[in-house]
Amino acid sequence: MCCNDNFQERNEGEKIQTSLDLNDISGMKFFDPHVHMTSRTTDDYQAMADAGIVALIEPAFWLGQPRTGVDSFTDYYSSLIGWERFRSSQFGIKHYCTIGLNSREANNEKLAEQVMEVLPNFIFKEGVVGIGEIGFDDQTAAEEKYFRLQLELAKESGLPVQIHTPHRDKKKGTQRSMDIAIEHGLSPYSVIIDHNNEETVKEVLDRGFWAAFTIYPFTKMGNERMVEVVKQYGSERVMINSAADWGISDPLAVPKTAALMKKSGISLTDIELVSYRNAITAFAQSGQIDENDFLSVKTIDQSQKFESNSILRGGQQPRVDKNSIIIS
Amino acid sequence: MLLIDIEGIKSLNDLFLQIIKQNLSSDALQWLETKVELIKTEEKSIQLNLTFSHLPRLAGKQPIVLQAEDEAKIAQLLPGFSLKEWTADRLSRVWLLMQVPNENKEAYIKKISGLFIGSEMNEQIALYSTLPFLSYAEEWVSRCEDGIRSNIGTVLEAIMYHNPYPAHFLSEGAWNQLVLKAFFTDKDVNHIVGLNERSNQALTDTLSDYVQERLAAHRTVNPEIYKLIEQKNQTI
Repeated sequence: MCCNDNFQERNEGEKIQTSLDLNDISGMKFFDPHVHMTSRTTDDYQAMADAGIVALIEPAFWLGQPRTGVDSFTDYYSSLIGWERFRSSQFGIKHYCTIGLNSREANNEKLAEQVMEVLPNFIFKEGVVGIGEIGFDDQTAAEEKYFRLQLELAKESGLPVQIHTPHRDKKKGTQRSMDIAIEHGLSPYSVIIDHNNEETVKEVLDRGFWAAFTIYPFTKMGNERMVEVVKQYGSERVMINSAADWGISDPLAVPKTAALMKKSGISLTDIELVSYRNAITAFAQSGQIDENDFLSVKTIDQSQKFESNSILRGGQQPRVDKNSIIIS
Repeated sequence: MLLIDIEGIKSLNDLFLQIIKQNLSSDALQWLETKVELIKTEEKSIQLNLTFSHLPRLAGKQPIVLQAEDEAKIAQLLPGFSLKEWTADRLSRVWLLMQVPNENKEAYIKKISGLFIGSEMNEQIALYSTLPFLSYAEEWVSRCEDGIRSNIGTVLEAIMYHNPYPAHFLSEGAWNQLVLKAFFTDKDVNHIVGLNERSNQALTDTLSDYVQERLAAHRTVNPEIYKLIEQKNQTI
């Protein structure tokens, strides 16, 4: 999330709506391994499905407003495996999630203790593909404590870990996160280091971890920079995501970046790896991702949506014409 | 007011296991049977909770293959109920819940209720599908009413379609909510067990208002609504 926006400046900007041209990547399929759909509208789901996103991972995170009781966490985790999963299915997008205690709220130690107690109730649920997003924010002692406890939980349960790296003091925070993961005996191959940039990527890849990049305007990676990263470091263990949330972010960041990569002459094989395949390979180590689940959803979606199929029963969302002033 | 007697439950239990055997790999079946033994003897719910969550990984989510004669037997034992279009994990979960020891009412209710809290979407479907087979049937009425408040279409269908529990146990008010919600969410009401039998004046009055509201908004009206209203009028 970005903060301290100057809304006057933003709202005064030219209001020109151009239509998005994604023809270059038409027919390709994408996997967004980090997107907070809880904070997005159904319009976004529709746009994502239209742009070729077939599956996504929603990591548990800070909701923008600190929670004051453990039941709020229980309900949030429940919504990630319940209501949000259904909402997504209505657009033919397979919804997975990672479950964890985020770094900010780890600083409320009394509450963090209680959250740690409920986590085991969720991490073995269907479609939970990892512990995440966990790691450092301020890099306090409390953050480190719960980061370590959750790494142990990941080790015991054999789940991948999705690590949020801090905005401030990023390079050291990233190094420290990797050091601690190694110290706890986790294989770097089961750990996805998120929100990388040009300064962190080399060490992350050299040490054998997965390097995820968040394409997010103003505060994280821009996709032109991302193209250069892929040109320099290749596609092995590299993946991109949108981390779209309540901030000014873009749920189409993955397909848009794929389109830009194609324009920039990056091979289709590399594009497929960073925008689809690598995320599946990394998180399928949970044993919870079956590619057929979303490939078959796609076909059923288009051909048999009124058949009472067990996957999509419950209704597809009817499409509305956003450019019509008529609302019926 | 039993929906199904102990003998009937036992027959269905055996039949479900037989169908599970035809639809699960031998590894998955062995795993399930081992777990059931642990669940039958544990005091807490650790094995139950883990097994319930883990089941799809072992059982798979493929639609079950059902013999016509088994289908007929089921329809005879529990009219209205059907396993049609069920997946292997759903049936296995329902069968698993039928194995939870029920001698101690308080412990039993605590165990089953615990599964509802923090349940995943497909777990909810299995839980509501089990309503006709749970012990202490009246105790689950408020759970069923809660389920009808869900916005998850597949969960609603688990309660509404081929499930004889609601018609048998819900009060008139709760039943009417189920039927109204079915119409509001475009469900196929022909799958609702007891739709005609439980029709009542309050429901048809509300449905008539609903028809007027739809017409005033220039929206279409589901012909099933007219059928239901008409059927009620004929019985008066």
